[in-house]
Amino acid sequence: MKMIVASILVALILASFFPLPAAAQESTTITITMTGVCEISISLDKTQWPLGDVASNTERVTSPPIEWCTLTIRGNCNVNTFIVGEDAKCLGDSAYNWALSDDGSNGEHIYGLWFRIFGDTARGYVPITKTPSEFWPYGGGSSLAPGAYKQFGLKLLTPTYFVSGRLMQTQITISAVAA
Amino acid sequence: MVRRIKLAGLVAALVAMFLPYLTLAQGVSFGVSPAVVRIDNLLPGEATVFNLTIRNKDEIAHNFTTATFHPPKKQREKGRAAFPDVSWISFDPDQIEVPAQSVANVTVTVAIPPEQKWAGEHWEAWLGVAAESSDLLGVRARLDVRLLVSTGGARSNVRLVAGIAVAIALLGCGGYYYFRRKARPE
Repeated sequence: MKMIVASILVALILASFFPLPAAAQESTTITITMTGVCEISISLDKTQWPLGDVASNTERVTSPPIEWCTLTIRGNCNVNTFIVGEDAKCLGDSAYNWALSDDGSNGEHIYGLWFRIFGDTARGYVPITKTPSEFWPYGGGSSLAPGAYKQFGLKLLTPTYFVSGRLMQTQITISAVAA
Repeated sequence: MVRRIKLAGLVAALVAMFLPYLTLAQGVSFGVSPAVVRIDNLLPGEATVFNLTIRNKDEIAHNFTTATFHPPKKQREKGRAAFPDVSWISFDPDQIEVPAQSVANVTVTVAIPPEQKWAGEHWEAWLGVAAESSDLLGVRARLDVRLLVSTGGARSNVRLVAGIAVAIALLGCGGYYYFRRKARPE
């Protein structure tokens, strides 16, 4: 009987001894690795499209249509590029906006936005939505190297109906991340 | 002579009138480094800081804003999940004006809550630096830095399993001797 009790005690001691260090947090060193020489950099030669007054259910295109703005990749690393839009907000009345459609179409208080890259005959005009989509998505060349540039233009389709006399504001974001 | 002076004055006036419009028509050019930040062994309950450098390459000052984004699944590094909560990442300052042809630093803090469930994870988030635009229909440029975080402090299951195995073996030995002894005739 003594043997049993001794065995159980030894077993319990050993069983508790082993997991305890495991339960304790291990001492580690935080490592931060920053590829310091790698800089992502882009430039846009235009940051605004002055439209002025617009009528309902009207299509407006930048001039020139597809060479309006140039995106140039600078820095020293390849990048993947994206484009995203947003709802148009009314300046002075935060309750009113134009929703950006998810397919480039328009509707009442819904507007459409499109972009087209010079030389991109396969896609033509591509809708800009609130979900980021690839700006230059082609396989085997979806990333853009430093020095590469893409000319593009924009198209706006105004809502079929909107409250007139309002100043609307929206932004299109072109982003880049290391490939 | 008087006519020449008048003409020069007219040219100066025209330049002064159109200069603001020329400035407005300018684009934006900037860079951010590093392009990728990799943090390993960040324990739950701990925080770490690093700097992002914004380089304004334009001839005019720009306002830059910062924010954290979830990368599209297709764009994430293999084996990495989306960062669970972007509020664990903060920027100081979160917006900054960088003068023309100048450089500025933004300090980024990544703090992981103390719960052990965050140990041994691999996440990716994108730290966006955008040149602000106040135009009615503005085209804004944003650069995203890849933040790759691996948390440390995962429990070592090997030790736990070894402990249980030893315990079972000892109990087995004890039981074996007990029953052998009991079965032995008096």
